[in-house]
Amino acid sequence: MKALELIGKGEEMHGRAYIKSDKEEASSIIKKLKENGFDHFVMLSCVDWIDNNEFELVYHLWSYEHKEHVMVSIILPRDNPSMSSMHELFPQIETYEREIHEMYGVDFEGNNRLTPFMLEGWHDMPPMRKDFDSKKFAEDVFDSIPEIKEEEDEGI
Amino acid sequence: MVVEKIAVIALYTTIAMFVGILFMGVGRKIVARVHNRVGPPVYQGFIDIAKLLTKKTNISHGWIYDLALLFSMTGIMLTILFLPIGGVKLLSMEGDAFLVLYLLAIPALGFALGAGASGNPNAAIGVMRALVMMLSYELPFVITLIALMIYYDTSSIAQIVEMQHAKWAIMIPPFVLAAAVADMALQGMLMEAPFDISTAPHEIASGPMAEFGGKHLGALMIYKAGTIVAYTTLFVDLFLGGGVVMHDGSVLAYLANFAVWFILIFLVFTLSLLINTSFPRFRIEQAFKFYWKYEALLAFISLIWVYLMVIS
Amino acid sequence: MGLFDGDIMKYEDWNKISRIASRKSLWMVHFCTGCGAIELPPVMTSRYDMERFGMGSMATPRQADVLLITGYLTVKTLKRVVNVYEQMQSPKYVISFGSCPINGGMYWDSYNTVKRLDRYLPVDVYVGGCMPRPEGVMNAFLELMKLIDEGKARGWEKYQKYYEQYKRNQKMAFNFEREKDEGA
Repeated sequence: MKALELIGKGEEMHGRAYIKSDKEEASSIIKKLKENGFDHFVMLSCVDWIDNNEFELVYHLWSYEHKEHVMVSIILPRDNPSMSSMHELFPQIETYEREIHEMYGVDFEGNNRLTPFMLEGWHDMPPMRKDFDSKKFAEDVFDSIPEIKEEEDEGI
Repeated sequence: MVVEKIAVIALYTTIAMFVGILFMGVGRKIVARVHNRVGPPVYQGFIDIAKLLTKKTNISHGWIYDLALLFSMTGIMLTILFLPIGGVKLLSMEGDAFLVLYLLAIPALGFALGAGASGNPNAAIGVMRALVMMLSYELPFVITLIALMIYYDTSSIAQIVEMQHAKWAIMIPPFVLAAAVADMALQGMLMEAPFDISTAPHEIASGPMAEFGGKHLGALMIYKAGTIVAYTTLFVDLFLGGGVVMHDGSVLAYLANFAVWFILIFLVFTLSLLINTSFPRFRIEQAFKFYWKYEALLAFISLIWVYLMVIS
Repeated sequence: MGLFDGDIMKYEDWNKISRIASRKSLWMVHFCTGCGAIELPPVMTSRYDMERFGMGSMATPRQADVLLITGYLTVKTLKRVVNVYEQMQSPKYVISFGSCPINGGMYWDSYNTVKRLDRYLPVDVYVGGCMPRPEGVMNAFLELMKLIDEGKARGWEKYQKYYEQYKRNQKMAFNFEREKDEGA
């Protein structure tokens, strides 16, 4: 596949090219892919591998020229995850990074717009992490709100 | 004599409001049928106003806000009194064409006061657009009015109605053009599409009406009913003979004239509704250009034509 | 009340007339929350016409009578919906669609959606389903009109009477803080 030839490493997985890299060389890999036809940035996703104690950030790119989808994957440690921001390459990455910062807690250096996005007044753990118990949270917060007690002489 | 006159004036003002509210309901039914729907019953206008006037809380933004509606309603009622309804002259006098032109501006002033007092920025944008619209449709309308005044050599609307008893004004060739121009100005006056710019619900959250609710909105709807009757009566009086078909002053003549007037304003209103359902909304600069470029040109042509007809 | 002590009209009859006027021309706020808003365009257009009952849609809450909560409500939206509800003028009604306002629906264990709408706003009619079909929506409108006629649709009075309780519940939803247990 064209992407694997360009970068020189990686494998094909389910018809897409999958390249593992690390924090320092990710920026240069994506820049090289962008200059060679992979100019459509699809999305930035994050996987929580809780058993291995790490986060995996995956950058998806598509090329209309070669009709190929490539995934560039970066492993971050789970305790203090931080990555450099790539919004100079693709401006829309800023919004994806904002969402991942809010939902997983990954810090992106260079992105100065990491403000609350979808959750308002959130003081708890980032909710998409696997050790966040959503059911218990819903019970604690929402089921503890009492019903409206009406007086008994409300004969309607 | 004075008491009789006041009673007749009160009766006709009430009838005009009644007819206007009825037309609002019938209008919704017609629009629904054009859309292939069933639509509300024809008396829906009365139920809407009854519901609005029986709301239990009424939020007011000060005394200017409360009085602003009175401006609009008195302006429109005064306009109705100077237009002969079915040939019945209420307060008509010499030179009342100019007076009616002045009175057309008072409701917009009332809107502006109400919208300014409510403090909503959407209302401010809507009022600004309504005033620009009024400025833009007045130019071609005044030119056609001048054409009529030159031809009939009078400046009283009641005289214009009387002089059309043999032949309606629209049957004279230059006035076909003038009637088309005045009909487009009527679309702007009634605030129907494509000129419902100032009360657009999706763009500026219904413009000046944004903060009106409860009793204030009920009064606003009565005002709107009054505008329907006033402006279509103005058009019918100027171009379609005012609905006067029998001149002998008997009771039968009054009833026949009233019936013909009713049918004529209903036809003019239906025409404006059908244009409403077929067109999207203009932007304010497009409406301004339409009135001041194309309509003004046509109005000038009809004015020159009439003048050449008169002096020859 | 002095005008109605048997002089012109009895107070109950006046209320009955105002209820007839209220139920035959309900105006809804054009603010449709959640995923159930997709069921409103079929109800408004020519196949299941809702205008034949006199219902229409208005642009601002000051002009409207009925608020439709169509689907789930996140905490963020609930703040704005409470704002909209308080701007409406009484008598005002709330209809909620779907199973999310009833008990949480599909999002019963979500960290961000409100589970039971009844604790934050007074609801007059619930419609079950995920989403209810347009026939169900029309049925809900007719049910609301029947309740108004019988004088049982009194949500706005409940909100005024138990205002402190509603406000306390809303504040608890907007500013939730859990105690941190160990290992969380």
